[in-house]
Amino acid sequence: MKPNLSDDRSRAEIGYEPDGRWKNNLWVEVKSETHGFRDLRASFLGLAYWLTTVPNDHGLLVLVDSRIADKRLRQEWQFAKMALHPDVMRRLNVAVAKKHQYIGLPEELGDDFRLWLDQLVLEHSQSTRPRESFYVILEVLMHQWLLGQGPMTTDWIMKTVGCSYPTVRDALRRLDYCLQRHSDRKVELNRFPREEWARLVAVSDKVRSTTRFVDRSNQPRSPESLLRRLQRLGRNDLAVGGVWGARHYQPDIDLVGNPRLDLCLYCPDKRVDWSFVEQVDPALETTKLRDESPALVVHLIHRAVSLFQTNKDGLPWADPVECLLDLHEAHLETQARDFLNTFPAAKGGT
Amino acid sequence: MRVAKDVVKLVSPRTVLKEIADAIPIDCRENIIIIGSLAAGFYFFGDDAALMVRTKDADCLLSPRVRAVPAGIAITERLFEAKWTFRADQEWPEPGKSTTADERLPAVRLNPPGTADWFIELLTVPDSSSDRKQNWFRLHTSYGDFGLCSFRFLALVNYDPILTPLGIKIARPELMALANLLEHPEVRPEPMSGLIGGREIKRSSKDLGRVLAIARLSIRQNEDTLLAWPAQWQRAMQARFPKDWRDSARRAGAGLRRLLGQPNDLEEARHSCASGLLALMPPTVEQLRITGRRLLADAIEPLERLAVK
Repeated sequence: MKPNLSDDRSRAEIGYEPDGRWKNNLWVEVKSETHGFRDLRASFLGLAYWLTTVPNDHGLLVLVDSRIADKRLRQEWQFAKMALHPDVMRRLNVAVAKKHQYIGLPEELGDDFRLWLDQLVLEHSQSTRPRESFYVILEVLMHQWLLGQGPMTTDWIMKTVGCSYPTVRDALRRLDYCLQRHSDRKVELNRFPREEWARLVAVSDKVRSTTRFVDRSNQPRSPESLLRRLQRLGRNDLAVGGVWGARHYQPDIDLVGNPRLDLCLYCPDKRVDWSFVEQVDPALETTKLRDESPALVVHLIHRAVSLFQTNKDGLPWADPVECLLDLHEAHLETQARDFLNTFPAAKGGT
Repeated sequence: MRVAKDVVKLVSPRTVLKEIADAIPIDCRENIIIIGSLAAGFYFFGDDAALMVRTKDADCLLSPRVRAVPAGIAITERLFEAKWTFRADQEWPEPGKSTTADERLPAVRLNPPGTADWFIELLTVPDSSSDRKQNWFRLHTSYGDFGLCSFRFLALVNYDPILTPLGIKIARPELMALANLLEHPEVRPEPMSGLIGGREIKRSSKDLGRVLAIARLSIRQNEDTLLAWPAQWQRAMQARFPKDWRDSARRAGAGLRRLLGQPNDLEEARHSCASGLLALMPPTVEQLRITGRRLLADAIEPLERLAVK
């Protein structure tokens, strides 16, 4: 019997979904440091299965820093051609990424796609994962410390971050110099982890997968206008950070003006829905140039629990640690220090 | 062979509007609404007499329809008496006669005394909301016979006009934009009769470009102003086309979407804007495209949604 794979249930039965989706009809699977044929074939098949559920869509497998030779890759492709249905093969492509260069990307996808793909590759890069987990754990510890939430169990950290016991254990070991361990095995920060924080600030772009958007209309909308439009969308996976967020936690803080809008986008499954950017302002385009002043800056929150604060009549607020990182990222160093010092736990110890 | 001439000149909206207001008989002023680029220019730059816009004509809409013919005759007679002159061209070298067929009558196009830089043109609203085609109404004057033209969507621009301090009314820019959107559900190939900025331009590109220029100037005044347009558009459409406003509203974005998808036509629209209302701040094609996408998101798509409710 021919399987009916055209509904969501069938997709769920496949037990797999590609890593990203570009403009509704291109599904992308990123495989980092895949050196063996078994993994390669599994990726081909997974993507091919997926394409049977979306008859008009295309698939792209991106091999990042793979040691599989080009000749062998072409051979594998020929085997796949013989084994898989022609309609699926017609919609399937493979590209190779080495040293931030792509080979085999369909040309018509353009620069916007490359920027998006860079981000996706970064998120799925093996080399960033351990470091990312450490900093996410640090952020969670900082969050509890700043808000005076008290000690926490390892299990709670695992569930909040969405990581394994060894990852939490290793992170706590690294932070031992600023931890207080309680007799019930709970832990909490006992002072500001200055050095690790400084490192986090230095790499926060990568850890938070920060994306900057600039105005291309020559009639830039104010951050207030962007925020009003965002509120109309009613999304609860987006939270306001930056200057607004800092003011939410500390209304009396001396922060004049909002040079830009900082948002945190909650995507624990790493699937990023960027549609809100066009809805908020079609004039916004991504930029990688640091000398361009962004109108909108978006940071991704991958941990299992968003830690957003919600109120009934507006958008959620990003947690104070994200707000603090936003101030650093915007080079508002004095304001960042002042904001940190408004929290009783941090007062005098930063 | 028709030789097209460049027809747009730099004029001051305030100066031209004042000249028209002074020339129109007082008892006809309530029947006249200035529309087109001059009205938009006055709305956006009227505070500054030194600011100029490029235009060729001052389109004057006579309404209500029942008063249009007597008001048109009175205004034409008065302007001729004040030494305004018939603007002759190859097709219409002189005013019509009583024997001239209605559809062959020239429009009332009159240059003010002492300048050929711009001219006044009289138009009117349709007879009824169901009147979909272009119509001509005869104006029999002692200076000859003229035709008064009506288009369906001109009915929108006499909705809730703005009374200027000069004692004469101008159409609301957002309603002129709506009329142009509805008049051009596609980019038609017919060119303008004259050159604009030295180039032949499709009428659709020019009129849809005007929509984008109005949107851009409106955003310049208030970044969120387009959000208020759908409600205003709905009120005007319900008042003017009570039976079939939803059909028209659902098609409001068709022409603009086509313009944005056709690079050559969008470039024509940009050129037209840069030779007209946006002469002081000419946008790039990409900037104009963004304005179009903002207009779609803030005003046209909400109107389309209102139409299906």
